[in-house]
Amino acid sequence: MNTLLLAQRTLVQFPRNPMVLGFSVVPVLIMYLVFGGLFSGVSDLPGFPTDNYFEYLAPTALLLATVPGMATAGVSLATDLQSRYFHKLLTTPTGVGTVMLGRLLGDCLRLAVQAALVLLLAIALGAHVESGVPGAVLMIVMGTLLGIVSFGVISANLAIRTRDAAAVQAIGPLAFLMIFLTSAYQTTDRIDSPVLRTIIDLNPAEYVLRPMRELMLSGYQWDHIAIGFLAIAGLGLLGLPLTARNYRSVYG
Amino acid sequence: MTSSSTTAARALDELIGLAGRPATPDIGDAVVLDDVAKTYPDGTEAVRGISLRVAAGESFGILGPNGAGKSTTIGVLGTLVKPTSGRAWVAGHDVVAKPIEVRRRIGFAMQDVGVDAFATASELMVLQGRLHGLRKADAVTRAQLLQRLVGLEQVADKRVSALSGGTRRRVDLAASLMHLPPIVFLDEPTEGLDPRSRGAIWETLTELRDRLGVTLVLTTHDMDEAESLCDRIGIVDHGALVVEGTPESLKSTATPTLEAVYLHHTERQAA
Repeated sequence: MNTLLLAQRTLVQFPRNPMVLGFSVVPVLIMYLVFGGLFSGVSDLPGFPTDNYFEYLAPTALLLATVPGMATAGVSLATDLQSRYFHKLLTTPTGVGTVMLGRLLGDCLRLAVQAALVLLLAIALGAHVESGVPGAVLMIVMGTLLGIVSFGVISANLAIRTRDAAAVQAIGPLAFLMIFLTSAYQTTDRIDSPVLRTIIDLNPAEYVLRPMRELMLSGYQWDHIAIGFLAIAGLGLLGLPLTARNYRSVYG
Repeated sequence: MTSSSTTAARALDELIGLAGRPATPDIGDAVVLDDVAKTYPDGTEAVRGISLRVAAGESFGILGPNGAGKSTTIGVLGTLVKPTSGRAWVAGHDVVAKPIEVRRRIGFAMQDVGVDAFATASELMVLQGRLHGLRKADAVTRAQLLQRLVGLEQVADKRVSALSGGTRRRVDLAASLMHLPPIVFLDEPTEGLDPRSRGAIWETLTELRDRLGVTLVLTTHDMDEAESLCDRIGIVDHGALVVEGTPESLKSTATPTLEAVYLHHTERQAA
């Protein structure tokens, strides 16, 4: 029950925080429109998987909504730690895990709505989700989970260490970098640089983006979907205990 | 009696009626500290073996200079600080082993006021009540009564970020009382408040203690506050309890005021 109350608080708080609202929603939609327009000619190349570049770019835009969006959740956590409101919550019969989970749940719902907005914009621009509504939901789930275990974890740890919203906000561009170093804008077989291809192969985000794009363009590739969830689980197994340990080391 | 004090008195009557209990449940000693020590990771020895007992329904003041260990001690009792050694019990529950059970029974107004800047005063208070298990309608009613009690009606729907430091402190205190806890911890509760607000809070706390048997444990620098609110006082310095007793018992011919007692003990420690 307390988890739901705290999730509700996160959702009410979100539109009131101009910093989080501004950085979380607007740049993604602008980037999607700008990059989609700028690189639309790419889809004319022979062998490109779709003739609508907005369709190819939609999963990328979805990740741009969820991954940096989860980083902004760390900003809110830092604000709570800075203002000591986090500790005020801990004077109620609520454990640290519940306070964190409440925020996480609220942020997940917020990011799911943002991701859905991106997909709706893609559909408005002529894109088609090959795997239908269930596939679209699966894309949103994968994108949101990747946001939690990647920049959700990094921003939470930074928030715990610094209690400084501005410092947490500053890592936002790294989230974009993580997504850009994938097949976000171009299929890997068309990327000439072997160094870049190696980086892409080592980037866990690629293993989540790939099945998401397949859900968008061609349907369910269950083996790729499984690998995507394995990548998410791996990051989670690494990051979540680290966050708990970090919290204990700072706040006892 | 002014109309505002009449309003507050009525609000207090209603609030006490809502508590549904005549006095603190039988919990024996409300607070027990047994040789509690706390050393922070940077090596600071904030508390060095404090032992004390506070009976249910008693009000106990912890006095001491800055850095004496007052906030750490009350933080241990409020489950926010884990002691390095020793044990502490609140309402019969170990603060380390059973923190949730402790939190059900306490209200804690912190020195660094912990408020959500993006919430309104009402939202913050209602959430605090609901986290303590109140139904929404009950939480709203209590929030309104507490707002009348501590003079927050005019700012109830304003964002906390728009409120002054003193008003935020009153919001924090009112939020801490939402579930009418049997034990209330107050870390310098009236610091930065104007005399009128301070008087209203003293009166509220005294009434809660006298009529509901609420146990109060507070830290303060303010000798008037200590004398007005506290049945017993402990003076801490350099992380240790140097003396404790009733305000009257601490005074003597050589130290006829509480301030003189305080200076006598803390300066002797410093020397």
